[in-house]
Amino acid sequence: MAGDPPVAVAIDRGAGLERGFAWLAATDHKKTAAKIAVASLFFFGLSGLLALTMRAELAQPGLQFVSDHTYDELFTMHGSGMIYLFLTPAALGLGLYLVPLQVGASEIAAPRLALFGFWIYLFGGLTMYSGFLTNNGAGDDSWTATIPLSNSTGTPGVGMDLWVIGVALAVFGSLLIGITILLTILRHRAPGMTMLRMPVFTWTMLATVFMVVASFPVLVVAMGLLLAERHIGGIFTGSTGSIVYQHLFWFYGHPVVYVMFFPFVGAVGEVVATFSRKRFFGYRALVVSLLFFTALSMSVWGHHMFITGAVKNQFYSLTSQLLAVPAGIEYLDLIATMIGGAIVFRAPMLFALGFIVQFLLGGLTGIILASPPLDYHVNGSYFVVAHFHYTLLAGSFFGLLAGVHYWFPKATGAMLRERLAKASFWVLVAGTNLTFFPMFFLGYEGMPRRVANYEPGLGDLNLLSSIGAGVIAIGVLLVLANFVVSLRRRVPAGDNPWGAQTLEWWTTSPPPRDNFTSLPEITSYAPLLDRREAAEEEQERRAEVPV
Amino acid sequence: MAAGGKAEVASTRNDFDSIWSLYLWIGIGVAVLVFAAVGFALVRYRARPGRVPSRRAELNLLEGLVAALILAIVALLVFRTFRTEANEDDSSRADAVKVDVDAFQWGWKFTYPGKGVTVIGNSNHEPEFAVPEGRTISFALTSLDVIHAMWIPDQRFKKDAIPGRVNHFDMEFDEPGREQGLCSEFCGFRHSGMRFGVRVLSDRGYERWLATHR
Amino acid sequence: MNGGAKGGGGPLLAWAAIMIALGTMLAIWSEGSATALLFLVGPIPLILVAAWNRARPAPGGPRLLARVSVPVVVIAIGAALAAIGLTGGLWLVLIGGEVALFGLVWLAREMTLERRGVGRR
Repeated sequence: MAGDPPVAVAIDRGAGLERGFAWLAATDHKKTAAKIAVASLFFFGLSGLLALTMRAELAQPGLQFVSDHTYDELFTMHGSGMIYLFLTPAALGLGLYLVPLQVGASEIAAPRLALFGFWIYLFGGLTMYSGFLTNNGAGDDSWTATIPLSNSTGTPGVGMDLWVIGVALAVFGSLLIGITILLTILRHRAPGMTMLRMPVFTWTMLATVFMVVASFPVLVVAMGLLLAERHIGGIFTGSTGSIVYQHLFWFYGHPVVYVMFFPFVGAVGEVVATFSRKRFFGYRALVVSLLFFTALSMSVWGHHMFITGAVKNQFYSLTSQLLAVPAGIEYLDLIATMIGGAIVFRAPMLFALGFIVQFLLGGLTGIILASPPLDYHVNGSYFVVAHFHYTLLAGSFFGLLAGVHYWFPKATGAMLRERLAKASFWVLVAGTNLTFFPMFFLGYEGMPRRVANYEPGLGDLNLLSSIGAGVIAIGVLLVLANFVVSLRRRVPAGDNPWGAQTLEWWTTSPPPRDNFTSLPEITSYAPLLDRREAAEEEQERRAEVPV
Repeated sequence: MAAGGKAEVASTRNDFDSIWSLYLWIGIGVAVLVFAAVGFALVRYRARPGRVPSRRAELNLLEGLVAALILAIVALLVFRTFRTEANEDDSSRADAVKVDVDAFQWGWKFTYPGKGVTVIGNSNHEPEFAVPEGRTISFALTSLDVIHAMWIPDQRFKKDAIPGRVNHFDMEFDEPGREQGLCSEFCGFRHSGMRFGVRVLSDRGYERWLATHR
Repeated sequence: MNGGAKGGGGPLLAWAAIMIALGTMLAIWSEGSATALLFLVGPIPLILVAAWNRARPAPGGPRLLARVSVPVVVIAIGAALAAIGLTGGLWLVLIGGEVALFGLVWLAREMTLERRGVGRR
């Protein structure tokens, strides 16, 4: 009932062990999520340095710093690192931290499984990167590892084997974490928290884990088959073998980009609602559109194969373009939440607005790519590179930062420096657009992807792009500096510094081990806002009663 | 389809251009609309002393209307895409100039079946093949090793070269001159050097070129 | 007392239904291509999970939670070593397997002791 906190019986193991050691094996979902945050930040840094090296090489035509073969390792490990080791785990880690808090649970379902998933993911990432220490170098056949180039003739060497095994481990670990989030939503919601009272972010996490459970196992299988192909052979044979591989890969490879989108659009939804001082608009429409969005996103993978001539282009073109409908509903809801509100421009809101504006460019260019006749020109070119960096970096990464700046006080008990956060926002906006907008033109003009060298006429746009990459790096450093400064000289946050609406803001910052010592009555997806509005109404009523 | 008429010849560039503008301008229109709506909200509804936020949180009629509107736009785009795509299905014209293309790591081989002409080159020596202007060129593309892709940006078209599979497609080259082609599917460390040229000649120039390359 | 008549299975079933519809559409459109079967990879386990959740809902009330679980980390180390051994050699697979097995036994012991410890209270 209202007021009953979720109760846990704790077995306090860890007494006598060193604090650090205990943290590594701690099962508290908040600590596992913290471990994921640290690991994914580490891989972000590594993969980001690779990108800076790539952009340094691409600043001018010709080869200045690296060989063609090294460049192939750079772009492979940059893409793989960012997708498998940074943004996917970060999305799931955000859910691992927040979903129990948002649904009023004391702990994630199956905390040991989540801990195990983290370690498997971390070992997977380290395995992938260890390829750099081998003779032939790290994996170098892009993040997709298409057959036949990725077999043992096309890409010999143990570094590529380590890449394949590492990817399988990292994705398997992520899958396990996704499963614990799903089970928590199904089984550990607090009394009164019906499915239609779950907050917006939790709903986007539910949509996310549907895709995780449906597609991540297929990737693990594909990697297993690829490893077998490399060591035994005879798996992907004949004229259809390479196509079969692509089906298996892209069946995962498309939903994963939505795994790297939904949690962040959910975070943005929470931020927009809080800083507009209104509950999220169009909740039921959002729920319906999320269910369609997540199912549709699993049906479009063939659009990566339009130019093979081996898939039913029309089916995939139709489903891909239909994605605009649920996406449009989400945008409508975000804007309608702002309209009629009282908008406050704190740092999380800036990043959320950055997401809304910038992601749109990525999404709309995605509709262009969904048309085969148009795809026949821009596929495999820098147009696509621009498209997915607008969705993933200018979009999802900004959404991640919105969520991080929003929930940092809750998780640490300390506020982030507001002016530093805003400065880092503007630097990142400048850097992101300077880096990736020119790439639309580069692609249209004929620059292919995955090349260290290009024709001389494209040098100016590439130089702009490379300068932009440096600006992004500065922006990232400012964000990191903010974390360090804010944790060193702490400004206490209190339970609910933003006047937010959902259950995680009811408890202390940071939350106690079992998340809650009490719970309010849960009356909607914004229970704290309900209480404030009820209190206001009560006050008004009292004011009207004649004395 | 009229036999031999220029008006009926497949043109990948026309196909692309015919819907590129449609998609681009609808995209720009949507973006402008969304930016305007966001901008309006931020200016009109920013927090001010005494501003009380509205409590309205649902208007399903609006959601339905917006969904229907987007669906209508998508229907238009899908219809135009499907119609254009149908144009590009292989036409196998009787008077087409046939060119067999073999992609390999890291170069190209162009064969004119029945004419006894083969052009081959790689990243050290870029191959160049010739086509007559205004006629349908019918390509049969395959790979000798890994997946490559044949892209001619001026034609706004590319197709995968897949080992064990032949991809057929037609192109029409309207303007005499030289067009650049390249591989656009990552295929190993000399991928960036895997380029070729297309020389578009008059009918007579093309016959002369064939004769000198036999 | 977890909210929702079906214990939360409604959205899962709705999603599964949409997936099956899309898969059927592809199967028809592609004239029976096997790739349409991929659409079942998600719905089948999720429907089973929804059914299991309905049949065995969470008991509610106090949950038995270990704060620290070192054997889990040991199993992960073993599993990773064994996976790397797929390219490194059988010796590594065996070492990884042994480590993982050791960890599993340790975990089983840890969990039994916990349950017994709670029962005593």
